[in-house]
Amino acid sequence: MKPAGMSKFTTLLVFVFLSFSCSGDLDFDQIDDLKLEPVVVANLTYFNIPAKDFVDNGNEQSIAFDAQDFNPFRNSLMREELIKAEFNFEIRNTVNRAYKIDLVLIDSQNNTIETLSFNVPAYAGTNNVLNFTEVFENQRLVKLKRLQKIGFVINMAAGPPLTENSPGSLKLRSAGTLNFDIEAED
Amino acid sequence: MICFSQNKQILYNFTSIPQSLLVNPGADVSYKYFFGIPGLSGVSANFGSSSFSVYDLFADNGVDFNDKVRNVVNKSSNKDKIYTNQQLELFSGGFRIGGEESRSYISFGGYQELDFLMYVPKDMAILALDGNRDYIGKSFNLGDINLRAEVLSVFHVGFHKKMNDKLVLGGRVKLYSSGANANSTRNSGFIYTTNGTTDQNIYYQYISSNLELQTSGIAAFTKDEYDGNITNDLIYNTFFNGSLGLGFDAGLTYYFRKNLQFTASIIDVGFIRHTKDIETLTYKGSYEYDGVNPGFDFTNEPENVLDDFQKAIPRDTLYNKYTTWRPAKFNTSVEYSFGKSRFDQDCSCKPPGERQYVNAVGAQLFTMTMPKDPFVAFTAFYKRRLLRKLELKTTYTVDSFSYKNIGLGIAGTWGKLNMYFLVDNVLEYKDITKTNSAAFQLGINFVFQDQD
Repeated sequence: MKPAGMSKFTTLLVFVFLSFSCSGDLDFDQIDDLKLEPVVVANLTYFNIPAKDFVDNGNEQSIAFDAQDFNPFRNSLMREELIKAEFNFEIRNTVNRAYKIDLVLIDSQNNTIETLSFNVPAYAGTNNVLNFTEVFENQRLVKLKRLQKIGFVINMAAGPPLTENSPGSLKLRSAGTLNFDIEAED
Repeated sequence: MICFSQNKQILYNFTSIPQSLLVNPGADVSYKYFFGIPGLSGVSANFGSSSFSVYDLFADNGVDFNDKVRNVVNKSSNKDKIYTNQQLELFSGGFRIGGEESRSYISFGGYQELDFLMYVPKDMAILALDGNRDYIGKSFNLGDINLRAEVLSVFHVGFHKKMNDKLVLGGRVKLYSSGANANSTRNSGFIYTTNGTTDQNIYYQYISSNLELQTSGIAAFTKDEYDGNITNDLIYNTFFNGSLGLGFDAGLTYYFRKNLQFTASIIDVGFIRHTKDIETLTYKGSYEYDGVNPGFDFTNEPENVLDDFQKAIPRDTLYNKYTTWRPAKFNTSVEYSFGKSRFDQDCSCKPPGERQYVNAVGAQLFTMTMPKDPFVAFTAFYKRRLLRKLELKTTYTVDSFSYKNIGLGIAGTWGKLNMYFLVDNVLEYKDITKTNSAAFQLGINFVFQDQD
């Protein structure tokens, strides 16, 4: 009885082990095909300047300037995997003056990479929302990746004088849409 | 062994296997003495994934891999988990103490164990696959990041005693030595993007982060100057230089009648105090991102929003000791036996009152603590004695991995050699890659009874 039991047990063991080998066709190399293509939206820049800020002690200030450090490409993901960036600007002017807004993209050597210019007509009582889109791809994107700083220059065109009590404001809202292409096998 | 879940439903109360004492130190196991064949007495491996199978991801079927990943993420929730566990018994043994009439037993052993448990980080996976553009208004939950991993060795000594014909009591103390541990189970926070109001930028974007990863026995390997052999160092640390902990098991068997039995056990009530090569990484803080906003105020130094972000949610490295609790397991069972054994009839070695039953049916309940909800499994089983010393146990288990998990175990003794082989999810073995969980365990012991 013992040998018979032993051989039944052995047969069962062999059967179970053989069952292990019966597996579907797998291809683990597929992991190399992994490709992440997230699309990320993020704020870019915002300001809202009331008309009275263009007046200082009764004198009109027709130029406003500021600069901000901005070096998102120090991040390797941004530097290496970003394939397209689209900047969307929404400008709403409720001041009775025309403006030219320049966003100066500056690199680490303080050289201008590119200047984005937006001409904004004077407010005439009707809805005055302007939308601009800038798409950075290929060479334009390569240059953008040198970005270290953004300069903001606002030039106010001539027109009816402003006072401390002038209504309205010049508002800019903007965001970027970033397309990444992250591949497992790079 | 069903190991990270560690529901050893086939082994539980399979008392012809001495290792069943590891899941119930109060199991009704008797021997004069036994020892396991080193390295062969308990080998087990186990893999489980509650929402997808290896086949779902890696089938060679022409479907784009990225589509498969997306399908898996879509059908998973942050309560779905992936686990793997492996155990290797290094040595084990036991002996009866006192004379031939004594019914007190000592058992002891040491085993190495590897555990890995990760919940599907669903929101982070969506963010990586799709980004946030199509999820305006959704809060991505950082708490979805939840994992723990450990390599440890366990040394234990147990004692069980048949108090009388009705009751067996047992207990076991354990010394844990953890060679490597990673623990990130109490994360919270969110990444949120919604449309801004007209007085805000295009979006309102907010990150609240409370992320923490505790490690012990790992940091040294991540340093540039490390030039050792990770496997060798890990083995050394696991056995000789680990973070130490203590725990206990307790259990009982009670016979209402000779053929109606109740058992219960609690396993791994214990902790490990992590003290060796500890390093904890944290990202804690919150930040509202408005953009790069000029003030047109010449008195201000240029600001840098990215620096502000890193100051608001800094990466900190801490070197504090920490404590982890072992996943505690609770087992209970009821078993009804019937059909007197005919194998005893041609044997005069047992008085009629001690003859074995041929069949047993019953039910078991298993629960285990986990970082999120406890793991619960319900098992119905049937045990059949094929020969006097050859027993078969089949189990049907319902748990979060499967509702049709059929297990099969066989244990036999030939002379002094005791062998067992247990597999679960046998229905899926037609194609193991399609299963959501799989486990096996096997072992060989030498068992000496009085009549031997």
